Amino acid sequence: MATKKELFKYTLSRLALLPIMLWIISSLVFILLRIAPGDPVDAILGTRANEFARESLRMKLGLDKPLINQYLEYINHLLHGNLGISLNTQEPVKVIISRALPASMELAIFAILIASLVGYLIGFLGAVKPEGKIDFWGRLFGIGTYALPPFWAAMLIQIIFAVLLGWLPIGGRLPPGLSPPAPFTGFLLLDSLLNNKIEIFISSFKHLILPSLTLGILLSGIFSRSLRLNLEEVLKKDYIEAAKSRGINETRLLVRHALPNTLLPILTITGLTVSSLIGGALLIEITFSWPGIALGLQEAINQRDYAVVQGIVVVISSLVVVISVVVDIAIAYIDPRVSY
Amino acid sequence: MLKQDYINNIIKISSIFLFLLQFSCAQHKEREHIVVASAGKIESLDPAQANTLRTLQILSALGDTLYKLNKEGNLSPILASGLPIASKDGLIIDIPLKENISFHDGSIFNAQAMKFSLDRFMKIGTLNYLLNDKIEAIEVKDEFLLRIKLKKPSSSLKSLLTSVNLTPISPNSYSNYKDKFNNKSFIGTGPYLLENFSSNQQIIKPFKNYWGKKPLNKGIDFINYSNSSTLFGAIKAKEVDVLISNSIDDMQRLTLNNMVKKKKLNSGEGEPIEIGYITFKSNNLPLRNKTIREALSYTIDRELISRQVSFGTREPLRSIVPPQLHKKELFPWPKYDPNFARSLLKKEGYCEGNILTIPLTFRSNVPADKLLALTWKDQIKRDLSDCIKITLNGIESTTVYKQLSEGAFEAVILDWTGAYPDPEAYLNPLLSCNEIKNNTCLKGEAVFSGSFWGNNEVQELLDKSEELEGEIRLKNLIKVEQLAAKGSAYLPVWLVNPKAWSLRDISQPEFSRDGLIILKNLKRD
Repeated sequence: MATKKELFKYTLSRLALLPIMLWIISSLVFILLRIAPGDPVDAILGTRANEFARESLRMKLGLDKPLINQYLEYINHLLHGNLGISLNTQEPVKVIISRALPASMELAIFAILIASLVGYLIGFLGAVKPEGKIDFWGRLFGIGTYALPPFWAAMLIQIIFAVLLGWLPIGGRLPPGLSPPAPFTGFLLLDSLLNNKIEIFISSFKHLILPSLTLGILLSGIFSRSLRLNLEEVLKKDYIEAAKSRGINETRLLVRHALPNTLLPILTITGLTVSSLIGGALLIEITFSWPGIALGLQEAINQRDYAVVQGIVVVISSLVVVISVVVDIAIAYIDPRVSY
Repeated sequence: MLKQDYINNIIKISSIFLFLLQFSCAQHKEREHIVVASAGKIESLDPAQANTLRTLQILSALGDTLYKLNKEGNLSPILASGLPIASKDGLIIDIPLKENISFHDGSIFNAQAMKFSLDRFMKIGTLNYLLNDKIEAIEVKDEFLLRIKLKKPSSSLKSLLTSVNLTPISPNSYSNYKDKFNNKSFIGTGPYLLENFSSNQQIIKPFKNYWGKKPLNKGIDFINYSNSSTLFGAIKAKEVDVLISNSIDDMQRLTLNNMVKKKKLNSGEGEPIEIGYITFKSNNLPLRNKTIREALSYTIDRELISRQVSFGTREPLRSIVPPQLHKKELFPWPKYDPNFARSLLKKEGYCEGNILTIPLTFRSNVPADKLLALTWKDQIKRDLSDCIKITLNGIESTTVYKQLSEGAFEAVILDWTGAYPDPEAYLNPLLSCNEIKNNTCLKGEAVFSGSFWGNNEVQELLDKSEELEGEIRLKNLIKVEQLAAKGSAYLPVWLVNPKAWSLRDISQPEFSRDGLIILKNLKRD
């Protein structure tokens, strides 16, 4: 049984591993980027620039130094919380990430909300009446959404709701001509409310619907299937039979006795999904031109913008570790049987 | 009873659907600004850093150039008050400037401002080698007279002065940016001034004190989407007013062109500035053999490829310079003739059991390249399967560019857009070479282009053309192209016209000679 002390020790050990893990990841990214063909000078100048121009830029960007010096400098900056300057735009990487990460997080939060609402509801209803109509269609929905290629689903939703029906905007985070409010949090919905810009709030909400709905529906299949399977298993347990024989009504049985015991795997799956979405949903962001972190990372890789790629990977990795630690702690609180 | 319930339900659902449809229609409000969409982000508005068509497009509205090329292809003064005056030895060029022109920040445009802009570009510009190779010094001769001292005579410099990259910027506003980029603002002399900038959206509005013809619209909102489908959907859904053709897939181009035919959209087309071609690496066998390269130049059915790959939207091309720059029709490369190709290959011992294998590389992130590679491969299989076999290899473009000069590719599909509308901007980057040994280029542009093909006569003619002017210069450059066709190190395939589509209530987009939309002429009816 997990005691508070054990849990605390576990949390500390996980957090202590964080710097080591980040060092390994950042070193790997550093090495892999240098091994990959193409360098930022090519991306910025093109291949036609003469040797003098290329060398000048290489010196300016610090790429003329020996690799080991570049590495040590990079690690030193990282230790001081400095993610560096974009080789392409000369903007601090921190600024680039602080602009793109909230966009991805906003999308992720809404997608998880939609996925949870739709997926868990379908899964719950299916498990309550196995082999019924809802269960049949629910399972079909689960398999279907899991099997759908995200880019195809996204384009289909775009064509139907934005092009044919014209109900919602086709892409981006704001309509043309509308400038974002002063950034407090980076979350457009929140910032527009804090700035009292209702028009921007409504517009940004409309822009959020299609990408989050697409992502939410695609994720809801996994959610519904996992809840249904776990709930079905729990409902077959002896203590549920015993409760039934004591005459406890069905709703109370489900809500008070069965559901809490399915939360453990559900929380794990939700946690894993949140972790994976922190890094952005690349195909959704590309299709809907959503200016998130995944789109930024893809562009930075194309440009061989070493500093931006390294910065994004380090930040995302840290967040993923922190989220998984939080999920572990939550699981330990929910289920006292878990030992560490 | 059950049937009646069904009917009632259908009526209810249809009513809701119709209501929502009405609601959606009511969303399309009349826009004041014209919304222009294109692919990709814009990270910097600094003319010293701009190298993408979308950035140059905005800069062309925010700034003016010293000259532009008119419809006849001759220099026409914009910020200059007259044509450049060259000294007898061709080493000094004087440019008189217009007076009473102000920058967006209110400061005066004069020779000092122009010198500041050119010096800055030569110092930090990403394409500064274009000027640094030619210019010795820039001097202010008078308040409105600029003097350019050259290292050697250069007739191509005049065309360079039409480049948007050399648009003047205000020395006052850029005093802190003498040796670094100013990415998010722009202070120039153009018909528009920048109101708002982000990498995904840029808003410009008319500059009230503009010296020239005022814009016909109330402002332009540029919006950048990340993929072709979203751009295509955006104009169909009327979310944008004008769509620029860069990065629009050929299938969607065709649909848009069909919409134009049905009078659902307007369209405008500029003169072609982008060429698509195949480079053959000429310093290794088997392609070191000139006859084999020549045979390959007879194997490509450009008409078929244009039809299959681009539905006819890309024009077949048999030269490496867009035809309008030569001012006459010119076809230095041969027509498709598989029988002649077979006879040449037989001469070299191929066919009849000995098949020539050509590994063809294409950029995997460029859909048209992949389709071109597949179509050529199948066409060779159809016509010359007893002589040639093409194997395909898709590589991401950044890697292709990096490995090109390392000689990694036997044959590779590429494209090229000249930095300024002049034949030299196409010939030099593909053909010029500083060190030639046995028809192999050891150092120079031909190495960067991946062909490694060098020819002393070509180099002499290229050097000579810098000292020539007018018709004689053009004839000289045509000779260069004819020699390049004989060398067969490149195989031109197609020509791409810049195009734009607009909604019916927007005027037809017009293009300048450098392939950019003239934004100030766009208007809402």
